[in-house]
Amino acid sequence: MSAVRLRARDLTVRFDERTVLDGVDFDLDAGALAVIEGPSGGGKSTFLRALATLEPLSRGEILLDGELERGLSPSSYRVRVAYVPQLPVMFPGTVADNLRAGPRLRGVELSDEAVGALLEKVALDRSFAPRTARDLSGGEKQRVAIGRALANEPRVLLFDEPTSALDPASSGEILELVRACVEGGAGVVVVTHARDQALALGGARYVCEGARLSRIEGS
Amino acid sequence: MSYIDIAPWRLLIVLALVLVTSLLVSRRAGLGLEQDLVLGVLRGALQLLAVGYLLVALFANDRPEWVLLMLSVMLGAAAWTSARRVESGPGARVLAPRTLLAILLGSAVALVPVFALVVQPTPWFEARYVVPISGMIVANAMNVVAQVNERLFATANAERAEIEQWLALGATPRQALARPVRNALRAALIPTINGLMTVGLVSLPGMMTGQIVSGTAPEHAIRYQIVILYQLVVVAAVSGATATWLARRTLFTKREQLRVLSGRRAPVPSGAARVSEGPRRPSDR
Repeated sequence: MSAVRLRARDLTVRFDERTVLDGVDFDLDAGALAVIEGPSGGGKSTFLRALATLEPLSRGEILLDGELERGLSPSSYRVRVAYVPQLPVMFPGTVADNLRAGPRLRGVELSDEAVGALLEKVALDRSFAPRTARDLSGGEKQRVAIGRALANEPRVLLFDEPTSALDPASSGEILELVRACVEGGAGVVVVTHARDQALALGGARYVCEGARLSRIEGS
Repeated sequence: MSYIDIAPWRLLIVLALVLVTSLLVSRRAGLGLEQDLVLGVLRGALQLLAVGYLLVALFANDRPEWVLLMLSVMLGAAAWTSARRVESGPGARVLAPRTLLAILLGSAVALVPVFALVVQPTPWFEARYVVPISGMIVANAMNVVAQVNERLFATANAERAEIEQWLALGATPRQALARPVRNALRAALIPTINGLMTVGLVSLPGMMTGQIVSGTAPEHAIRYQIVILYQLVVVAAVSGATATWLARRTLFTKREQLRVLSGRRAPVPSGAARVSEGPRRPSDR
């Protein structure tokens, strides 16, 4: 039996009077993939943001490898639990600057070789390194955003609708990347509204609806 | 020392001049500013008249408690005005204590050493020196703090996705907000620095002009003006930096989450924490 990497207990998020997430429990093993489906406004993106600690909890707790998230500094938790938003934001500067951003926050400068290796990991040519990040196409930006998250060597990766803004060809390539992350040993959570994509990804399937999360039988 | 006294009735000449010219321009150009102009012209004169008589009374009874009361009113008015000018932030009532602290700190750093070591009024609370010099410094702090807050809160709103992406990579709030803070402080300091560059070339500053008109030798008047100019830079820097520090504390939760400060919560994907002071009154805008 594999160890629980990320555990959420009784996660509850309220926006003013509205309960967006209501007492959600969730376990994710190391090297496991969880796919969250559900209608718009059902709370799936909020769930992912809550796991990324970008959303304040009204109630509940998160444990990373058995350690309470509240006991860690927000920065050190987020380095270990990466979040890739629906629409990736490129920071000013080159692709290499973007890939170096995370480690640089902690005073670590990635070598050119490490940047090249990250580019290869996200299936981009090494010649992308000096290009202006904001000039890239949507699919390329998404890859750089994934590479930027991988630069921190996270234990968990959270993807919010990673292919929603992409054409089918790019979508397929991004899903390959997601699978590669799982094979690399990270725990991965993907939020998607597309049923076919959820099925194609495999892994445990959940549905997030009416502020609750439930596992789909047989997945 | 002598100067030409302006008889009160002669003020009517200037009043007529300002009304005729500005109303003419407003009406001809269809600006629709007539009501504001009339109100502004009258209100400005009344406020100055009131403060003039207040100063007469203050000079006649030079007592520390009155001077301190006057300074407190100035600080309070500056803090409230500064907080109200910020449209993208958490609202004037939440912001006002913070603008007060920023203005107070900057003004104290700019004023106390100068009164203690440079101008040295005797007694220390001599209203003739303390009130007008403090007024200029507090006014600059008010503008700088309003500008820093407006820019920072607006940027945090507009660039929310980028700031959150920095947080998600493990940035502290200080790191995540580094670029907006730099830009806001720079923009707030530029007018004061430009003032240093152009002083004397384009215009003579108000205080120096006033002193020269009232008979002070220009070589004495410039010394005061140099002191004031430097104080303006000090207050802009200290109040501006304090305002950015306080804005950062307002923008993030203890667990380093970016709050939603203004208006309705965005659709769920980009939602986050918020600071609320209840419904905002139109007068807070």
